[in-house]
Amino acid sequence: MRQWIAIIVMGWLSLMGTPLAHASLVIEITQGRDDAVPIAVVPFQASGGQPAEDVAAIVAADLHRSGQFRPLPVGDLLSRPSRGEDIIWRDFRVMKTDYVVLGRVQPQGEGEYRIEYELHDVARGARLLGASYTAGRGQLRDVAHSIADRVFEQLTGIQGAFSTKILYVTVNERDDYPFQLQYADADGHRAQTILRSREPIMSPSWSPDGSHVAYVSFESDGLPKIYVHELATSQRRVVSSERGINGAPAWSPDGAQLALTLSRDGNPQIYTLDLASGQLTRQTNSRAIDTEPRWLPDGRSLIFTSSRGGGPQIYRLDLSDKSVRRLTFEGRYNARPDITPDGRHLVFVHRTDRGFQIGVQDLKRGTFNVVTGTNMDESPSVAPNGTMIIYGTQEGGTGVLEAVSIDGRVKVNLPSKEGEVREPAWSPFL
Amino acid sequence: MRLTTFNKLFVALLASAMLAACSSKPTEEDTYETTQPVVEQQPPATTEPVIQQRPTRPDYSNIPLTAENYHNHPSHYDGTTDSRIIYFAFDRSEVPAAAFDTLRAHASHLKSNRNARVRLEGHTDERGTREYNVALSERRSKAVEQFLRVQGVSASQLETVSYGEEKPAARGSDELSWAKNRRVELNYTSGRP
Repeated sequence: MRQWIAIIVMGWLSLMGTPLAHASLVIEITQGRDDAVPIAVVPFQASGGQPAEDVAAIVAADLHRSGQFRPLPVGDLLSRPSRGEDIIWRDFRVMKTDYVVLGRVQPQGEGEYRIEYELHDVARGARLLGASYTAGRGQLRDVAHSIADRVFEQLTGIQGAFSTKILYVTVNERDDYPFQLQYADADGHRAQTILRSREPIMSPSWSPDGSHVAYVSFESDGLPKIYVHELATSQRRVVSSERGINGAPAWSPDGAQLALTLSRDGNPQIYTLDLASGQLTRQTNSRAIDTEPRWLPDGRSLIFTSSRGGGPQIYRLDLSDKSVRRLTFEGRYNARPDITPDGRHLVFVHRTDRGFQIGVQDLKRGTFNVVTGTNMDESPSVAPNGTMIIYGTQEGGTGVLEAVSIDGRVKVNLPSKEGEVREPAWSPFL
Repeated sequence: MRLTTFNKLFVALLASAMLAACSSKPTEEDTYETTQPVVEQQPPATTEPVIQQRPTRPDYSNIPLTAENYHNHPSHYDGTTDSRIIYFAFDRSEVPAAAFDTLRAHASHLKSNRNARVRLEGHTDERGTREYNVALSERRSKAVEQFLRVQGVSASQLETVSYGEEKPAARGSDELSWAKNRRVELNYTSGRP
């Protein structure tokens, strides 16, 4: 049986005096795995006063949120070593802990810290990893996510995605600018507003290098236009303002093109836009609705939603010969596809008699699974390491974000403190 | 005297039969349309009092407003340019018959005021994916555009915008909220009636 855990990880972080940005999301793990690997993350030894962030707590929260690790509660630690040579192995063996992460945070000069960490294997009594960082006060969270990435990769063989970011849209009717595009760490912390508007903002999409975002904004006289926005400078430009729909931008893997939906020639169809030249090329040719394009990792095909067979289903378009093949056959409503970075799993919104859920189809084996249990699930976005899917759903009548592992075994909530949160987009590796 | 009473009874029975027919119809699209021909089909001898009782505007006071008949309910449409929201059935983009007079009034205003411009803003309910809903809402705004064009309105006076589920009129995840959100709003950007 699956174990149901409800631990408010960020609750204990805030008790330690962590300043929370007002719009930060709060992570709750609602469903974990009972085969999660037990690991002890010992609070890092702090010399010269407590640093602004509890690095070990952030590492533990990251590992916990992956669902693949079960950090030992700090209160259960029998000893708190800060160096490998100080480890009393028995203290960790009796707690049935497989691995130990420990470290030190020392002030170094003006507002800087030196952070060292080590990863040890309890069964073998051996050190597996160790490294040091120098970071400013504002970079302690980055260091913690980087440590979690390395520990995760060492122990699972999969690149960690804790240092990545998410984009999402918030809607708060009481705000003068109800629609906001936000940017945050993958754990919901350090949220920043990229754009605020009185009119809807939709469909954020990352450039493959993570430097730019494309989105649809209705800010200009209530009409939809597609913008390309540079995150570092906030400089942006309109790249599509055709008559009718300008929607669903999706960046090509080489960063040179956007796939998008336009209705300028009648019904909504998929086009590609060369960003350097502005050249538009129509890619689909149906009398139906074709929309929600995504690129396959090789950049040679698009997947998209089409109503050409009646209701919405997902199709694949080969860009070289324009041939189209239907991919989904389970149920009468399958839409808004995303794809795992290895191109193997198709992730999409699937309608059942209970509502809308996230479906995962293994394109190699042809198997299909519904991985969520809520009923208004939408906008799935796959983590760059392919392990988790973040998506929008509803809780108590308001939009919230949740994440689920690709196999459906781990579930994580990111409830918002106020207003709706929707349309998450997980960044590439940065 | 007796005959009149009988006629009144007959009309009442007919009306309740019509209502029963409406509520049992699986497709709400036609509910109001089907009621009118029934009244007109009555034989002349018995229809005289019926015709007198038939109001110039349909009497909808005893047709309950439900999520199923919401789009085609006469209470939304007064047949003048004052009515500026057209509602749609679930998963449909046909202009409801009850809105015809209202849209004809808009068409005649637009034809006699060539500087008038109207934006047709299409919306869906919250079910389904966001960009697909943008596409569905465009079908609705285009259906209204097509209706006005057939009435002789110039294309240059019309503009469609498709918002999908992004600007709901009603919050809530129930059938009636959804019915209120499946709509096209007529917003005059100039030459407002």
